[in-house]
This record gives sequence, C-alpha cells and structure tokens, in this order.
Amino acid sequence: MKKLAEVLRDWEAVIGLEVHTELTALETKMFCNCRLSHDDEPNTNVCPVCLGMPGALPVPNEKAIESIVMAGLATNCEIQRHSMFYRKHYFYPDMAKNFQTTQGPVAFCMHGRLDLEVSGAGAAERPDATVEKNEDGSYVAPIRILRIHMEEDAAKMVHVGGEEGRITAATESLIDYNRCGTPLIELVTEPDLRTPEEARLFMEKLRQTFLTLGISDCSLENGSMRCDGNISLRRRGSTEFGTKTEMKNINSFKSLHDALEYEICRQAEVLEEGGIVYQETRHWEPSRRRTVVMRVKETADDYRLFPDPDLAPFDLTDEFVERCRARIPELPDAKRDRYMADFGLKRADAAQLAGDPAVAAFFEQALSAAGEKGAETVAKVMVNLVPSYDALTPAQVASLSGLLAEDAITFAQAREVLDAVNGTSEDPAAYVDAHGMRQSTDEGALGAIVDEVLARCTDQVQQYRDGNKKVLGFLVGQCMKAAKGSGNPKAFNKMLAERLEA
Amino acid sequence: MATNFDRLSAAQIAAGVANGDFTATEVARAALDAVDARDGEVKAFLQVSADLALEAAEATDRARAAGEKLGPLAGVPVAFKDNMHLVGTRTTCASKMLANYESTFTAICVQRMLDAGATPVGKTNMDEFAFGSSTESSAFHPTANPWDTERVPGGSSGGSAAAVAAGEVTVSLGSDTGGSIRQPASLCGVVGMKPTYGAVSRYGVVAFGSSLDQVGPFGRSVEDVALAMNALVAGGRDPWDSTSQPCEADFLAHLNDPVEGRRVGVVPALMEAAGLTDEVRDAVAAAGRALQDQGAELVEVDLPNIASAIAAYYVIAPCEAFSNLARFDGVRYGYQEQGCATLAEQTSLSRAHGFGEEAKRRQMLGAYLLSSGTYDKYYYPAQQVRTLITADYARAYEKCDVILMPAAPRTAFKFGEMSDPTQMYASDLFTISNNIVGNGGVSVPLGLGAQSGLPVSAQLQGPAFADASLLTFARAIERSFSPGGGAPVAPAFAGKGGELA
Repeated sequence: MKKLAEVLRDWEAVIGLEVHTELTALETKMFCNCRLSHDDEPNTNVCPVCLGMPGALPVPNEKAIESIVMAGLATNCEIQRHSMFYRKHYFYPDMAKNFQTTQGPVAFCMHGRLDLEVSGAGAAERPDATVEKNEDGSYVAPIRILRIHMEEDAAKMVHVGGEEGRITAATESLIDYNRCGTPLIELVTEPDLRTPEEARLFMEKLRQTFLTLGISDCSLENGSMRCDGNISLRRRGSTEFGTKTEMKNINSFKSLHDALEYEICRQAEVLEEGGIVYQETRHWEPSRRRTVVMRVKETADDYRLFPDPDLAPFDLTDEFVERCRARIPELPDAKRDRYMADFGLKRADAAQLAGDPAVAAFFEQALSAAGEKGAETVAKVMVNLVPSYDALTPAQVASLSGLLAEDAITFAQAREVLDAVNGTSEDPAAYVDAHGMRQSTDEGALGAIVDEVLARCTDQVQQYRDGNKKVLGFLVGQCMKAAKGSGNPKAFNKMLAERLEA
Repeated sequence: MATNFDRLSAAQIAAGVANGDFTATEVARAALDAVDARDGEVKAFLQVSADLALEAAEATDRARAAGEKLGPLAGVPVAFKDNMHLVGTRTTCASKMLANYESTFTAICVQRMLDAGATPVGKTNMDEFAFGSSTESSAFHPTANPWDTERVPGGSSGGSAAAVAAGEVTVSLGSDTGGSIRQPASLCGVVGMKPTYGAVSRYGVVAFGSSLDQVGPFGRSVEDVALAMNALVAGGRDPWDSTSQPCEADFLAHLNDPVEGRRVGVVPALMEAAGLTDEVRDAVAAAGRALQDQGAELVEVDLPNIASAIAAYYVIAPCEAFSNLARFDGVRYGYQEQGCATLAEQTSLSRAHGFGEEAKRRQMLGAYLLSSGTYDKYYYPAQQVRTLITADYARAYEKCDVILMPAAPRTAFKFGEMSDPTQMYASDLFTISNNIVGNGGVSVPLGLGAQSGLPVSAQLQGPAFADASLLTFARAIERSFSPGGGAPVAPAFAGKGGELA
C-alpha cells in the first residue's frame, strides 16, 4: 500500500467522528438512582428501572441534562429549548428493555463548532489545505459539530468460549448491568476532518474540553470516551462524497490516527485498482495494524424510533441554560491566550499548560506559591522539566523556579535537584543548601578565582586575545572546577569576558 | 345479628373497624370465605393472597388496639388487577410469559391503597397484558359475568369488575387504556372510574400503552370509588412516574353537591352510533332526564372528529405496546424456550410461545406501524387526530361541565360471541376517545336493560383533572337509579359465604 502522504496528494479523505462520552462525574444513572461505577462487582448497581423489569418507569437525571448543556455551550452549539427522548428498538440483552432511550431529530445541542490548530507535521498531511496557513506552516481548521444528544449506555457483555469476543459460538455470555443506563452523550461531527492528525487533535481537544467541564473522566482506555470514525475518499477537486466505512474499536488517540491512516490507504488501493468500497463497519486490530470487516450494512437498521411516551418533552428555560453557562470554567483556548498574554509564553507552550486541566491547576498553584515575578521561570520549568516527574508538588516547583530565577543553580543542576526531591516533601532550596549546591554570584568572592585562572591559563588567554572567543568556555570550566561548583557559570562568564576585553 | 360483608360499603367497613363493631381480621376472613364460596363459578381471581390479607388485617387491628388513627380504607377488602405489582404475589398479566413472575416491588397505586388500610385479597384476571374487552384472552381461564355466568364480564379489567359485582371484595383496582375499567364496569353493573391521565401513578403497573394507561377503582357505589380515589391521590404527585401530576382533590367533599344549574353535554351523533342497542340508548336518555329532574341543564355538544378515535387508538396503542412488551424476551425473567441454539432463536421462540394470539397481533401491528416508511403514514397522522379530538373536547367543555354518553354499546355478550377482533375493538367506541385525550371518565350503573335484563351503564366524561366533579354527577345519577345508595351484588352470588362472624 502507498504511504499516507502519497495517497493524500491524489485523494481527499473525508472524515467524521461519532464520540460517545459517559458522564462519569455524575453520581447516578440516567433514569434511575443507581450508583455509577466502573469497578463494583457485576450487577450490584441495578434496580427495576435499569434492569427493564415490567412496571418500572424512567425519571430523567437533571444533572445529566446540565452536563450535556454545558458540553453544548463549550462547543458553541445552539441549545435547543424544546427536545424529547425517543425509543430506539433492537433485540439484544445488553439493553434490558430491548430499546435504548435516546434523542430524536432534535438533540439538546445542535450545530456547534470546535476550531483546531494543526501544526507542523500534521499540517503537512493536508496538502492543499482549504484553510489559510500560518507562517510556521500551522493552520486553523474549523470543525462543525452536527449535534450532541443524550442517551443511556448499554450493559457490558462478555462472551466466553468460541471466537474471541464474539457471541457466535460462545459457550456462555455474561452480562453486567452496572453500566446499563449510564448517562452518555454522543457528539457527531460534520465530515469536516481531512487527515488522521486532525481527527486525533479533534479528539484531544474535545477530551480537554470535557475534562475542563468536569463532566467525565474521558478515559479512552476504560471506554468512558469512545470514538467511531467514518471515512470516505474522493478525488482531489471532487465535491461528491465517496462510500464511507465506519471504524470501531478505537481506544487510544494513536489507534484513532493509525486506524484512519490504514483505512485511507486501504480505500485508495481498492479504488485505484478499480474496486468498490463497501459501506461497512470495520474493526481496528491494533496488534496487526489493520481494519477488518465486522458487518456489512446492506440495509439501514430499522430501529422503529418514536417519542418515548413515559418521558414528557423537555422545555429548557433560559434560567436553566444560563445556570449551566455560569458553571463553565475557563476553557483551554481562553486559558492558553491568557498564559501567553500574562507570562509571555510561546503559543505551543501555553497550549501545553492550558490543555490539561490537572496540569493547568498545578501550574497555577505553583505560580501563586512563587509570586508574580517568578511566573516566566515557573512556566519554563513546567514546560521543560516537570513532565519528566510524577510526584512533584506545586510548592517544590515554585521553590526550584526561585533558585533558577536568582541563578543559584543551573538548569542541569535543577534536574539533579528534582531527581532527589521527587516523591518527597523536601524543599528544593533546603536540598541545594544541604548539598552545597548553591552557586555564588558575588563578584568579590569569585574575583580571586577568576584572577587565579587567568594567571594560570596564559595559553588560552592568548588564544582568546588572538580572536578565538570559544576558548572562553574552557576558562569558565576552569573557574567552575576551582570553585568546586559553588560559583555561578554565568557570573564567571561575565567576569572573564570583562577582564579579557579590558 | 350476623351481617354479610357484601352488604357493607367501604365507608361502613372502615367505620365498623374503627368503632370496634367488627375487626379487620373478621372482615378479611369473611371476604376470603366469600371468594371460596363464589369464585369457583366467577373465576375473577388468578391468585388469592390469603396470607397477605390476614397479615394486613391483623396489622390494622393492632393499630386500632394501640390507639392509632386508622386509614380511610381500614379493613376494606380490595383486589388488584394482575398487572399491578404487590410483593408476595405473582404478577402474571394473565400471560404464559409471566406465569411465574414474582413481584419484585409494590406498585405505588397498590401501596397507597394499603397505606389507607385496605386488605389485599388477591389478584384478578384480565385480558392478556390488557389486550381485549372480554377477559377471554387470559392465558389461564375466562371469568364469568356474575349477572349471567354464560357471559363475559367485559375487559380487560374483567376480573376486577366481576369480583366487585359478585361481592367478593368491596373495592378493586383496574387499568384503563381504551375503556378497560369503564366497559367491564358497565357489563358487570358496578361503578368504574378512569381518572385523568397523570392523576394516579403508573409506577409498578405493567405498561400497555404508556400515554393511554391509567389506573382507577371499581366499587358498587360512587362513594366507595371516591374513597378509593382519595387513597390513590393521597401523597400527591409520584416522583417515580414522570407523567404523574399533582392532583390532591378531595373526592368526598363535594360528592353530594347538587347538580342544579350545571350543564350536562349530550352528543346527538353518539346517541345514534351504529351498534348502540336501544335499551342502552334509552337508559342513557333516562339518565339525562334524571339529571334534568335534579335541575341540571342538558346541552347539545359536538365532537366532530370522534369517529376517528378508534383508528387513531389502534395506531398509537399497538405502537406503544410493541415497544413496552419488547422487554419480554425470556433472557432475564419470564417464559424461556429451552434448547435453543442461538440467542435470536431463543428470543423469537420465547416470544412466539410465551405470548397469546391477541398479544402477538398487537405487537406485530405496532412493529409494522413503527417501521420506517410506515411511521410517517400512520403514527404521525394518529397523533394529529389526537390533537384534533383534544380540541373537540376543549370546545365542548366551554358549553358544558360533563358529557353524558353510554359506557358500552350493549350489555354483556356470550363467551366466544365476538370472534372478529375488529368487532371487539369497536366495543370501545364510547370509551377510547377519553384515553386519546387523557381526560377522566366514569361508568355509573343504570339498573338492568329493558330487553336483556343485564346491567346497563351511563358514562360521564369530564375535562382534565375535573374528576371530583365527575363523581358529583355520577352520585346524582346514582341517587335516581340506585335508591339503596349503590348497585346491588349480583343476585346469584349475594350472601353466598362472607358472613361476618
């Protein structure tokens, strides 16, 4: 098969995503009071409602509606004041009632938009980008969101025996209804994505947004955030859509990228050989790095959708929507812009800190511990050093940043200090002092060393004076050695240069 | 002097228990004795819950001994339609599908009756999953009309109506999706009320048509029905049922108010409807005159779209039934076909063999009507018809307080007499429109028909949540037609067993 970049020169990939997110931050299920939990013993968080026992009736979880409205507002959707639940029928034991309660043509959130910043290598995957490129090669891709609707999750089924993971030929099928009835929001994009990289970035940005809202733990690994990719190809310049396939079993950002990349290349090969792409659901096999057919959709499934007569239509008030809006914290884009403006951070660095709510919270705690003046150093430490450690406290980062800001240690020493204090409660400043690492910048104390080195290294002094400025590094090294590491190299550098140029 | 409990009203039993004239346990034993003596022939019950009845009665007696205030239904023997959950009983819906299904929780409507002090005597027969108008589609056995045991009691709440008519219990609960309380009440000569949709919680009642189902009481007098209604709405809106509404009316307070000066609507076209027998038409006309004699004004009103009600109903109800009954797949509970090779085979054979003919007919109809392409042609227009009929009623109620019409087009028919399902569907002609609209309606006995000698009833319909006022008019009719203050127990069963010791 051809490589992606080559394929994309001739073909345009049209990608849309369907993203399911469990509202794991809620305490109870969508239509009953059962506890939400991923870890409890199977079938312990169940009741007549989520087990679909006869006579049980659903009562909607108002907090779930708040969550989806917040998700909609954060993705620039129009919040529909009037909408309702529908019943979607299919016979399968993972849905106890044999219908799923979901939304119909009108979802709580309609017609939103999320802007993607695509940079560097990712941008190169879109050869004739219809969007404007920035000077550094990056560009902004506006991705339209068709809708976000509310529904309930199905139970978890485990098929024992027979072919791996399939009910066919299984000797036993186990059902855990703990997950049945978990509030789920499904976001559907317009087919506005053009590359696997854009799809991956979209998922990352969506995840960051939902994490910031605090509505879900958004774990792709545990399945609390799940993504299906729809993909078709068309010749560059064409405006018709090709036949699409649907990609399932995507449980990491890498899988999303790689599955789409594989599928784009596979479809291109099929089309270039004069073959036909069938509308089908394909399963991503990460171990073999390929997609295989799950089932062919010859006819559309008939789900017999109709309005749920047990649930009255919703009429959301302006007060309700405004209450949801007021609960939305600062979102990653706004935070990034603020970091750039306040701390002079580069866009990419600011985005890195603002993107993950946990990182941003850590950063802001470290900032407040360090005080205003240290902000830029704290940011630098956060971007360059902190990601390598797993158990630092904001106070330690603030203290370390202070040492760097006053040139008491070098960047190299900073790593040594962090290695030592990571996972302890030790203050980096105390550690530096205890280990005699604090470097002096006192010209009086360092002057004698400088003079001694200049007197000793006459050859190098002569080389410098003959124009070989690089030899200064050697002289700094000699000073450091003589000071046994307690002198600041920048200070030595400055003092040596002053004396040599004099 | 010994009294038979079947001669006492619910209020008299509650008062007697409260005063110590007799104990709740004595009443419970009398009711169980009456069931023993009478139900062999009537077959109103699918289960008799003797233990639960005696436990509840003893608890009532202990409460009295402890000086506690007793509920308004203290010691009153009550039966529940077998689509209502009561822990300690099976809830079969008269279906093979649920023949062994034990209730896992108690329905709110049942609990509220128990909270008012009622004694639960048992669960009554019905058409399978409430699909029918004769109780003949029960998977277990037919129920006889106590007035003529060769005839049906009506349906689908036929067991609940027959149990009250035969004097086996004082009050019972039924559910009404298209007339399933009012029609059997009419055929058995008892009072039967379908309250406004939302007045009584549906939580714990096995759903047939969720937007149409409503639970209501049967009694031999309007006062007994009012007492039961008070119990059903006490506690207000049920938070477990999203469609439940606050309706804390006192159904007794205005029961005996005069109807003088109030307006009773009559729909001339309905009084000429095809299938309506002369004796029913004459009796309903007589009920109108009786109200006039008490000072009410009869006004003609029009319900121009009511002829479409049956068609709309037989779209909406099967669609909801298909969906509600989809859960019966033999996986978690209920009838499960053994020896199947695949899940699909087990699901389809469990359903094929667990459901009876009418239940399958309705679900297949619903599955067809909801399928893509068909949905737009039927379901959507049916909902539009619903809106039109609702508007018809709203206009009519600008001119009148209640509407008087028959409850059923004819008196009780013989077993097997209605073999064509569409003919059976047509027997709901007068009741269905009220379910479509969601308003309340009540059947009131008018004595025996001039030709058939069988019970005939009038039906009163009212605007939404005017159910208490509906009972005021029902009481006015009762004053003229039942001088004893209520309908009699069917003579063949009155006094058989049931003596209060």
